[in-house]
Order: sequence, then structure tokens, then C-alpha cells
Amino acid sequence: MDAFSIPMEHDMPEGNRIISYKTAIQEATDQAMMHDSRVFVIGLDADDPSGMFGSLKNLSCQERVIGTPISENAVCGIAMGAALAGQRPICIHLRVDFLMSAMDIIVNYIAKWRYMFGGRVHVPLVIRAVIGRGWGCAAQHAQALHGLFAHIPGLQVVMPAFPYAAKGLLLSAIQDDNPVIIIEHRRLYDQKGHVPSEMFGLPLGKGYLMRKGRSLSIVAASLAVIDTLSAVDSNDIDADVIDLRSIAPLDMEIIRSSVKKTGKLLVVDYAYPFCGIASEICARVAETSFSDLRQPLARITFPNCSVPASGILEKAYYPSAKTIAKKALEMIK
Amino acid sequence: MNTPHRLPDSTACLWMLKKMILIRRFSEYLIPIYPTDVLETPLHLHIGQEAVPVGLCVHLTDSDTISFSHRSHGPALAKGINLQSLMAELYGKITGCSRSRGGSMHLVEPELGMHGSSAIVGGGIALGAGMALAAKLSNADHISVSYFGDGATNSGIFWETLNFSALKEIPLLFVCEHNHWANNMPAHHHMYGDPLLVSKVFMESFQIDGTDVLDVYKGMAQAVGYVKEMKKPAFALCKTLRWMTHLGVSYDETHCPENMRQKSCPIQKLQTIMMSENMIDASGIQHIIAEVDQDILDADTFAKNSPFPSPDSLMEDA
Ligand SMILES: Cc1ncc(C[n+]2csc(CCOP(=O)(O)OP(=O)(O)O)c2C)c(N)n1
Repeated sequence: MDAFSIPMEHDMPEGNRIISYKTAIQEATDQAMMHDSRVFVIGLDADDPSGMFGSLKNLSCQERVIGTPISENAVCGIAMGAALAGQRPICIHLRVDFLMSAMDIIVNYIAKWRYMFGGRVHVPLVIRAVIGRGWGCAAQHAQALHGLFAHIPGLQVVMPAFPYAAKGLLLSAIQDDNPVIIIEHRRLYDQKGHVPSEMFGLPLGKGYLMRKGRSLSIVAASLAVIDTLSAVDSNDIDADVIDLRSIAPLDMEIIRSSVKKTGKLLVVDYAYPFCGIASEICARVAETSFSDLRQPLARITFPNCSVPASGILEKAYYPSAKTIAKKALEMIK
Repeated sequence: MNTPHRLPDSTACLWMLKKMILIRRFSEYLIPIYPTDVLETPLHLHIGQEAVPVGLCVHLTDSDTISFSHRSHGPALAKGINLQSLMAELYGKITGCSRSRGGSMHLVEPELGMHGSSAIVGGGIALGAGMALAAKLSNADHISVSYFGDGATNSGIFWETLNFSALKEIPLLFVCEHNHWANNMPAHHHMYGDPLLVSKVFMESFQIDGTDVLDVYKGMAQAVGYVKEMKKPAFALCKTLRWMTHLGVSYDETHCPENMRQKSCPIQKLQTIMMSENMIDASGIQHIIAEVDQDILDADTFAKNSPFPSPDSLMEDA
């Protein structure tokens, strides 16, 4: 059977089918490959026994899992070519840093093709890349570069924080006719949560309100959502917590309506600050919700420098639930 | 190697023996420390592969430049990095060669022609070529080395640099340390054929037994000599064996079991020949080991006693 159709969900259902984030990705990949013979997986170590930190283990269609040489630039181009020719590739990368050598293909080709040819062609390509952190990985192995991709028109960028979203967004991305980059934080891989066994999608470009409050709006994505929830829950902070799920397109509607209610906005983005998602959100809120604001906008991001190796500097580098709680409490005082 | 080696003089042999023992003992010293988490940095050890960097660097001067990658300790020590600053870098201390910012994969010593190692596979090859171009532009006599693994030949930047170097006639020696693995991928999964098949169309190319330091010595004498004299690029393919798993401190018992390690040990091979040529005896070897071990202990003490960087210094050099 070619192609599959999935119901679109919007919520975050309760349930007791508890699986990990990596298993949710594996399940979505497996189901997509079983239902759609155009779906295949390609990338360095895609066929390694470790199965991309467990997210590609035991797939039913091993013949459509293609390991590659260390040739990220060419491989992204090859995946794109296959997509143009009718396949649905999932191009995987164990670290987002390794994608930098493929930026030419991603920025000049993948992002542009549909527009540059007047919509006569499209690139149904999914790129998955993992963000790492910690243990002296240093500057070239611990970056969070989602803002870089989001900057480019023509690229959709999603960052699931929960197993449920990991499955739903991946299936939506595979089904979408245009390129989607999925950024997964390594620290989320063992997080568990309820995930329905059947196939379902989550709309690209839609955020989700994780907590309802009145005093402050906190917007975050990926690992930053987990830290934000722990900050809010353990300090009884009366805040809206918005899980962006997608950063491009950006769900400004959910942010604006929350800010209208609370009058205060804190954006948490675990990435470089300059020209980042947090700046983008702040700019847009300042443009269109200025009269709703009761105090200056605030951001929590990485400092404007590369990631250091030494453990002690790493600790100084990364914000945490504590950082978020401190700032949030300050803002609602 | 079938042809008998003409032995280098005993100074060169002793230098190589001591350097190989240093790389070996240093790496072995890290094995029990690593799991205790005092070194918070991913280690790629050079155990078993010592002959390649050592047989190369014996022919290099301090001003010759070298660009290497994540498997950094071997080439760095062979080129002469200060042992204490290397150890301190692994401990994340401010006295480390990269002032604690780099960790195991990012070593630097500009005074000795090491302008920084990269952990993204491939890019460092071009940097080596840039240093060669700089030597050419400034009419300097030194040469440059791009030092990389078999896996790095998968990258476009390798082929681009090969072409550029041949076209522009820069004094660059490509050294491919072919340990038959790129992480968990055996070479035949990631490379269609030996890069030498192509490199020899572009430049003078040498095939070297990377498990035998005397063969490396001989091959590199020719290769380095050629680049220095002709001021043109050359390529050296050194096949060796990776004794360890890609990352960390375990021996790869599956692919390189004990008997294979014993047969291919570059240190054993050199010791045997030196002993049979009366260049050294068993007590001489013990003496070298003791000296090296003392240096390692001193470096460890130095590193342990060094301060951590101040968290306030995070943004320095940003
Ligand atoms: C562009 C890029 N892709 C993937 C990686 C992950 N990686 C680190 S080392 C390595 C294998 C490198 O093999 P090789 O060049 O042969 O060097 P060796 O480790 O064998 O010394 C890989 C794939 C990386 N560092 N950079």
C-alpha cells in the first residue's frame, strides 16, 4: 500500500500505554514503513546495531534501512533526490552538529526547491537530528542549532518534548509533502509517557498548552519544556506553560492568547540567544501584543558562546529548572 | 615487509621507541581512571596505532604543521605536546592546552605547529592544506601534514582538498591512518576502494605498513622528503589495526583479539629488532618505561593539583 492516512490529534491524551520517547519514534517509523513502501531510512549508522540510540531498533523492513559513509552533504542530497523522485526518505543524523557539512544542500536545495520551481516539484523529506549535551562533548558535539534551520524559509522545524509528540510529529512529517527537520534531544530518549498504539498525526506548526495559569506565560520547546514543567510544578508557579512542538512555523496564536491573559512572557530556548527562536517570539509579541504586556519580555537561553568541555564550565553554561524557577518567581512577584 | 630494513641510527630508534612507549603507557594510564568520571571527556585512544604518528613525526621539525582530529593523543604526543598540559586538558583544568575548553578531542599547541584538532570528521584535512598554502605563500621551508582516519576519506572535503593540493602544488602530506574502522563501520562498508588508487593519479603516493614503525620511518622519510624537496603534495596510506573500541577504554576483543594484538604490536616489533642489533637490552627498555611512567605520574599530579577554571571565565574568548 502506498501512502497512509492518519487522524490528526491536537491534544495530549491521558492513558496507560507507557513507552519511551525512543520507542515512540521506533514505532512511528516502523508503522510508516509498513504502511507506505516509499518510506525508507538513510544515514550514517542507520544500520548500526545500536539503532540510533534505540530509535531505529528492530524495524520490520530492514532492506529499507540504508547505512552510509561519513558523507553527510552527499547523503542529504541523495535523500532529497530520492524524495524528488517519489520516495519518502527519513534522513538521520546522530548529532545535529554533523548536519553542518550538509548546510549547502539543506539551505540552497531542500528549502528552496518547491518555491524556485513555482510549486511544480516538492521535497517530501524528513531529516532527524539529535542534540547532545554534557560530559565534555565540547563545542562541536553539543550544539542546539534549530534556530539556524528555522531561519530559512521553506524548512519546517519541529522539536517534540514527549513520546506522544515524538510519534505524532514524526508521522505528520513523513506524510507532509514538504521538508521537515525534527530535532530530538538525547536527554529525552528515555523519558516515558502514554502513546496510543495506532497511527496518528499532530499538526505541524501547532503548540500545546501544558499547564494553565494566570500570572505568567512561559514558552518552551523540547528539553526546555520538561525543565519548565518541573520548575512550575515544584514551585507552585501560576503560569501558562506552552510546549511549542513546532518552531517553524511558529504557533503565534497560542502565545498571543496566553499573553493577553497573563500580560507577562518568559521564553525558554536551550540554544544560542542571538537571532534565535526566543528573539523571534519576543519580537513578534512586541509587534502585535504590546498593549497586553505588563512588564518587559524575558528570555532564558544559553550564553552567547560555544559549549566548553570542562564540567565546571558546562555547569555554568546550561540553564536548568532552577534558573527557570528563579526567573519565573521574579517575574510574578 | 619482506625486504630487510636498513635500520635508522640508534638515536632515531631510541626516540621512536620512547615516543611509542609514551603514547602506549599514557593511554593505558587513562584506562582505569576513565570509568571513575574524573576525566569528563570522550577518549579515543591510540593504543596499537603508535607506529604511524611516531614514524611520521620523527621526520618533522617543530615548524612543520599538522592537522589531526578526534583521535588526537597519538599525533599530539608524537609531535611533542607537553604531557602535563595534555593531562590537564583531560581533567578539565585551566592549565590544559586548550585552557579546559576543548577536552580530549580538541588539542592545540601552536608553537609546535598544532593549530587545533577538530572532532567533525573531514574538515581538518582542509585546514592542513591551508597551512601548506601558508607555507608556500610565505616562501617558508616547512611542510604541512593532514592526518586523518580511513573514515575521513568518505567526506567530500577530502576529495576537494586532494584536487586542490595537486592543482596548486602545495607542500602538504596527506597521512591516512587506516585502522580499518570508522566507529562501528568496517572499512569495506564505508570505502569502495583504497584512496591510494585515486591519490596516485593526483600525486606521489606511498603505501606503508602502519604496524611497523621501521616501515613507517622508511616510507615517511621518502614522503616527507619528497614534499620538502619538490614542494608538492604527497599521500601516505598507513594500514594499521585499531586495538580499542572506537570510543572509550575497552579493547576490541572481537575484531582485534589478544593474539592479533601481540603479532601486530609496533613496540614489540621495534624492541625485538633493536635488541637483536644490540641497540638496547631488557634493562634499557625497563629504564625507558620507568622514565615515561614517572613523567606520566608527574603530569597526573600536575593536572590534579591544577585549579579548575572559574565559572566566571565562561565567556572569555567567546
Ligand atoms: C561529519 C561527522 N560525521 C560523523 C561523526 C561521528 N564520528 C566521529 S569519529 C567517526 C569515525 C571516524 O573514523 P576515522 O576517520 O576512520 O577515524 P578513527 O576514529 O578510526 O581514527 C565518526 C563517524 C563526526 N565526528 N563528524
